[in-house]
Amino acid sequence: MTQNSESTVGIYKQTLLAGLWRENPVFRLLLGMCPTLAVTAAVKPALTMGLSVIFVLLCSNIVVSLMRNFLKPHLRILMFTLTIATFVTIADLFLKAFQPEMSETLGPYVPLIIVNCIIICRAEACASKNNLIVSVIDALGMGVGFTLTLCVLAGIRELLSTGTIFEIQIFALAEKGGWFVPWAAMSMPVGAFITLGLLLGLVNVVCKRKA
Amino acid sequence: MSKIKHFIQQSWLLIISSFFFGLLIAIASAAWSPRIEQNRINKLNTLAGRLIPEANDFVPLENLGVVIEVTSLKGDKKKVDVYKAMAGEKCFGWTINAVGSGFQDKIELVIAVDKDFKTIAGFDVLASNETPGFGDKIKEDKFQGQFKGKAVATLELIKSGEAKDNKILAISGATISSEAVVKIINHYMKEVKEEMQRKGLLGNDSE
Repeated sequence: MTQNSESTVGIYKQTLLAGLWRENPVFRLLLGMCPTLAVTAAVKPALTMGLSVIFVLLCSNIVVSLMRNFLKPHLRILMFTLTIATFVTIADLFLKAFQPEMSETLGPYVPLIIVNCIIICRAEACASKNNLIVSVIDALGMGVGFTLTLCVLAGIRELLSTGTIFEIQIFALAEKGGWFVPWAAMSMPVGAFITLGLLLGLVNVVCKRKA
Repeated sequence: MSKIKHFIQQSWLLIISSFFFGLLIAIASAAWSPRIEQNRINKLNTLAGRLIPEANDFVPLENLGVVIEVTSLKGDKKKVDVYKAMAGEKCFGWTINAVGSGFQDKIELVIAVDKDFKTIAGFDVLASNETPGFGDKIKEDKFQGQFKGKAVATLELIKSGEAKDNKILAISGATISSEAVVKIINHYMKEVKEEMQRKGLLGNDSE
């Protein structure tokens, strides 16, 4: 009995940690690249995007896990898409109503969560095969892993392009008598690709060292 | 009969969830759409209020029973949102929502003019997606300030020199964005003014 419950806890822990590092959606699975590159010019939109993805992922994993025994194999992708689209629409409406400026900054990238591979991948790989608790933990692990990655990327880009993090001035700007000359390129797509490439390389080096 | 049975067996979950999810979205939309609409009006009013500070009420012309339709920059007839800037009973000017192509995406502007439609009171950007550090300087006062007090529909973009008379100095490194703004403003000022004169909302210039 104790051994059994211990192994269950072990599975929960592993599921949670998988999303954060071992199977991190961005660094290890290379999923969800579009928002990763597009909304990480500053930390605030990146965090909002991350939280929206956590919400959608959590809701879709819960619903898919609950209906997993009734799913017909050839209709399952349709069911997943329907579920995801519903919660994305709700998240989009919520942002438009309560965070109008953020909603404008994110533009089409909130509705585009519907085609974010992380969510449909978790529905297929985890929620449609596991019970509710594992699915919820998996959604949290993957969602938080995605959000943290986005924030790290956005933090680096925002700091180098404007000298701020969370719109708080960290580096003193040259035009105001400081030393830092902003790198405008970092807030453009080119900055996103370079930063992501360097981070991916770094993560690969760290993983190889460990192995 | 068995066909129908088979159909229902296969798709009952899909049918039920479609209804359920549809209901969820309908509830969310019903609960939040007034707020979303209010946000849009607030944003417009704040922008317009900054351009014509004397006015405190911006009345859409549709509410006054007039619809302004002009040829857009793409060449098709489109309805334009025109607002009458009022304070009490007095009219202080007009604001026009205009749209046109920018460098990589469309640019949406609010343009304000005085009550006779002769001089520009200023403009602001409602929505745009210009290059950060270059084209997005169209949102800055330095560029926008040049438009204040210029005569309607005669603006000319220059790349260097002094921005006097009807001349607007382009943002360096963002000629296309600057050009787009000038083009949108010139086009809409001319078209909307003519349309409003036709509808009898303004006096004719010759008067």
